[in-house]
Parts: sequence; structure tokens; C-alpha cells
Amino acid sequence: MRLTRRDFAAGIAAGIAAPYLIKSAHAQSATIKIGMCAPVTGPAAESGGYAIKGAKLALEAVNKAGGILGKQGELIIEDDQTTNPGIVLAFSKLAAQPDIVGFLGSIRSTQVHAISPDVMKLGKPVMIGGTDPNLTHMGNQWLFRFRPNDSYSGRVIAEYGVSTLGKKKWAVLHSTDAFGTAGGKALTEALTKLGAPPVLDQGYANQSQDFTPVVLAIKQSGADILGSYFTFENDLGIFARQLRQLGVNIPWVGSPSIVNITALKLAGPALYNTYGVADYAEDSSEGSKAFGKIYRDAVKVAPDNQSSWTFDAINVLSAAINKAGSTDPAKIREAILSTKKFAGAEGEYNFDQNGDGLHGYNIVKNDKGNIVFDKHIEFND
Amino acid sequence: MDLALQLLFTGIGIGAVYALVALGFVLIFRATNVVNFAQGEFSMVAAYLMVVAVEAGLPYWAAFIVALLGMALLGVVFNLGVYYPLRHRTYLPVIIATIGASILLANSVLAIYGPQPQVLQGWFDTPGIQLGPVYLDSQYLLIIGVTICLVIFNFWFFEKTLLGKKLQATSQDKEMASLLGISVSTMIMITFIYSAVLGGLAGILVAPVLFVSIQMGSTIALKAFAATIIGGFGDVAGAIIGGLALGVIETFGAAYISVPYKDGFAFLVLVAFLVFRPQGIFGERVAEKA
Repeated sequence: MRLTRRDFAAGIAAGIAAPYLIKSAHAQSATIKIGMCAPVTGPAAESGGYAIKGAKLALEAVNKAGGILGKQGELIIEDDQTTNPGIVLAFSKLAAQPDIVGFLGSIRSTQVHAISPDVMKLGKPVMIGGTDPNLTHMGNQWLFRFRPNDSYSGRVIAEYGVSTLGKKKWAVLHSTDAFGTAGGKALTEALTKLGAPPVLDQGYANQSQDFTPVVLAIKQSGADILGSYFTFENDLGIFARQLRQLGVNIPWVGSPSIVNITALKLAGPALYNTYGVADYAEDSSEGSKAFGKIYRDAVKVAPDNQSSWTFDAINVLSAAINKAGSTDPAKIREAILSTKKFAGAEGEYNFDQNGDGLHGYNIVKNDKGNIVFDKHIEFND
Repeated sequence: MDLALQLLFTGIGIGAVYALVALGFVLIFRATNVVNFAQGEFSMVAAYLMVVAVEAGLPYWAAFIVALLGMALLGVVFNLGVYYPLRHRTYLPVIIATIGASILLANSVLAIYGPQPQVLQGWFDTPGIQLGPVYLDSQYLLIIGVTICLVIFNFWFFEKTLLGKKLQATSQDKEMASLLGISVSTMIMITFIYSAVLGGLAGILVAPVLFVSIQMGSTIALKAFAATIIGGFGDVAGAIIGGLALGVIETFGAAYISVPYKDGFAFLVLVAFLVFRPQGIFGERVAEKA
């Protein structure tokens, strides 16, 4: 067979065009893809597993109900290794796939800060669980939060401790990462407004092996109540045990990690009778109860906020894409921001123009290992 | 004063953990002239073995023996799989191989057992005792006790027994030891087994305090490595003193200067030693060694 110049040119053209044609066909494939960065490895790997399960359960339900824009939703997961470099790499891998229409980022504020510039550059909606208030107030219009931010948690912790428990000498303990620093600051500000500025404001570095100096500082401060923002459950477990061993038994109101399944397992009785602000509390609403049942049936463990926020994020994102009738990022953004009175596992979503969906917290108590809902405090400002 | 006593106890307790892992570093360094960066993972693997054995229903003491036997086996496998094939190469490929092995061990445990951190009960039902103003955590008391016993055992073993002397001879000059009829490869095998067991012992002892997680080994190993340099690389007494010193320094530094910079104090001391006394507290001078 003789190869003519025309045949050769046609072959070259087909060779060059083929990858684009395949990619284009792939982009218009049968599924709508959602990317998810989750800690599959690293210190938060256990809670990362819960987050993935929450997202998958939501997507299963969405698909059963007709899917997204008439197609099945598909979750593409990348391991963020529980580190900032890890999530930057994971997000860049996902962002390189043009057919992914939206993303689930991290529950850890410090990791959301790490990917924020890339999110802005990409210009596609990213659902987040990080609670540093700054995340939705620093000009990044593509971040949408599915947990109440720490300006609310700080106010709820302060309000509950001062008004309900009647304590005014506070020790504030927080990690020194973005989440802990912002949370500690929010709590200190709220306490100062209530006329009870903390007698101790103590930071600690993540992955500490020993908290004896911290416990002794709390003891020496004369505090009669402790407010805390812990990033990792391992740290919380070690601290809780040492706190009790060294004889500190003052009331303790903590950020949501204090009622996480992992923390409850590690610390055990050391966390009995503590209070927590929880964005997810099973008895707080009908939506929370419904999620609790689905999750328990499927995963066989108690649900917590690690899984509830990703469950809600998938549901809201899917509904927004359907409402927008398009995968155009700007239209999805508008649809998310217009989401009002959406009954989720974490509560009722009413998105503001900053991208915050929730505006209140639940107070729960650890009653011998059982998390008991006390009350919900909602803010309108 | 009460505060200082409490800090001193905790500092010695956590320092003893560093010392145990540092001891493993030193023994392998002496025998092979390379740093085993998987030493921390030995601790993690042993802690998981202990959890699995306890969950399987074995009594605590039996689980302890099973875990240590498992570590001895890991020492054999590690020697044959990581060190032995590269023994005639320079130190660099061996060090890189130990880093690779450490990643392999961590990810293998992750794949087999999953990411869930585990709780391992301590040896004693009583969590601790109050001695005047100082609370003595029973697990830390055990760790300190075991460290003291190991110091005595090491002295006896290396100075008073024939096997210990053969190990010392091998670490000092392999060629001469070989000429004297000592089986160098056997001595190195024994060193790896002993180091794996020591690292495992540290992991099992510290697990009730720090919980059992994939990361537990690397966190301890980093400090233990610093302790080894401070004490003098290659010196058994140096590893113990370095470990204890590091534990006490970081605990007091955190209490009296700054909690968030606790790790910083440990590494500040390390940098100071590297600048002003690179041979460490007990180490011989590099010039003399050369």
C-alpha cells in the first residue's frame, strides 16, 4: 500500500485531534463529576473516612432521585494527607480535570486557606467545612461554607458559660493553626463583650505529646471554666486525660471536636460532663434525625459533623446545579447563594452573600459518653 | 516548687520514651554506620501488634510477648530486606532505603488496620498515684523504670557478656572482628533484632499515653533522633542522657517560656549542639574518629 501525502496529513490531523475528541466526549459523559479532597491518610484519616461516607450517602440519594441534570453524579476523591501541601496537590489534581463541576474542600480552615488562591484562580464552586470566619470574608467568592463559622461558636460558648453556667473566670485554650487562632480570638472577643475577659489565653502546637505545662497553667490561672478549640482529636484526648489526672475538674465547653466520635473514643470518661458547641446534633431538627437514621443504617456508627457537612454539601450543590439548569460556575454560584430554608443534617441553610449557609450552633452535653442535645442558638446578624 | 516537681516528673517520663527509641538508633548506627529512619515505625508497628493481640483475646502479658516476638521477626526481615542487600554500598543508599522502609511500614499498617487511632490500656488498673503535690502517672513510672532497667542491662550485656563484646567489636571494626572469627553478619542481624525490640518496647509503653496511631512513631522518632545527636551519636549513655535532657528541656521550656514553641526548644538545643559541640555530650570528636 502506498502512503500518499494526503493520507499522511489526514493521519497526523487525526492523531492530533483524537485526544481532544476523546476528552470532549469524556466531558460530555454520562456523569456529573464532583471532586472531593479528603484526608484518607494522616492524623485525620479516621474522620476523613466519615466525611467520604457522608458525601457518598448523599450522592446515592441524589442519584436515586433522578441525579443531577438528568445524569448520575460521580464523586472523584483525592487524598489531602491531612496536610496543607497535601491538599494543594490533591486540589490541583482535581482542578486539572475540566469535567469536574464543583468540589468539596476541607473541614480544616488551615487547609482551606492553603487552597484558597487556587480556588480563586480556577473559578469553580468549592464547598468547605472550615470554620475560620475569615474564609468567607476575604474576597474569595467561590467558597461556600456548610458549617456555622467560629464567630458564632465563640459567641455560643461564651454565652452558655457565662449566662447558663454562671462562670466568669475563663481559661481559653486553642491550637495555633488558622482554625484554633481564629476560634480563640472569637471566644476571647465574645467573653470580653460579656464582661468576662479570659484570665488565661493559651495556644498550643498541634500534635503535642504532652499537655502537662498547659494543664498546670490552667490550674495556676485560677480559672473556673475552660473554653477550647482543638484541631485534632489525638491532642484533645491526651489533654483531657491529663487535665483530669492533674485534678482539674472545672466545667469545660469546647468547640465541635469535643463531641467527635474519635475524640469520645480516645478520651473516654475524661470527657464526661463536658459541653460542646456542635453544628451537628442528632436531636436538633427533623433533618438531623433523618440523616442520623440513614447514616447509622449504612455505616453502623453514630453520625457526627465530619459526615453531616459533606452530606449537606453534596445535597445543596446538586440541588443548585439542578436549579441553575447548567454546570456554568457562575450560575451554580448564584443558585447556591439563593438557597434558603434548605433543611439539612446540620440545620436550616440560608446562604448569605458571603457564602455562609448556617448562622447558629447547638449546645450539647457529654452524658457518660452519650451526646445529649440541650438547645440551639441562632443569630440573625 | 510543686510545679517544678510535676514538670520534672513528666519531662523525665517523656524523655525516657525518647531515650528508648534513641537507643535503637544508636545500636544500629554503631553496628552499620547508618541511621535507621524506620526506628520510629518500629514503635508504631509494635503498638498495633499489641492492640491486635489484645483484641484477639490474649492476656496483656501474652500480647506483650507476642508483640515483642513480632518485632524480633521484623528486625530479621528488615535486616535481610533493607540493610543486607545494600551492605557493601555507601551509607547513602542504605539511609534512603530505611526512609523507604519507614514509608512502607506506615502505609502497610494503614492499609491493613485502617486509619482509626486506637486506645491501648496500660499495665496497671490505677492510672497513677498522688505523691504530695505531684501526680505520678503509672505509665510514666513504668517507662522510667524500664529505661533504668535497660541502662543496667545494656551495661551488663555489652561489658560483661561475650556476645555483647562481639557486638562491640563488630561495631568498632568489622574487618578486624571478622579476622578474629566473629560472624559480622550474625552480629548485625542480632543488632537489628535488638533495635526493633527496643523500638517496639518504647511504642508499647507509650501507647497508653499517646494513643496508637500511624503517626505516633514518626513524632517520637524525630525527637529521639535529636536526642541521639545531643547525647553523642553512637554512644549508649549519650542516647539515654540526651533523651532525658530533651524531655525535661521541652517540658520546662513550655511551662516557663512558651507552650506553642515547645518543639522549638528541643530543636534549638539540637542546633546549639550542632554548632558548638557537634560530637554531642559523650561523643568522640570527628577528627579523632577519622
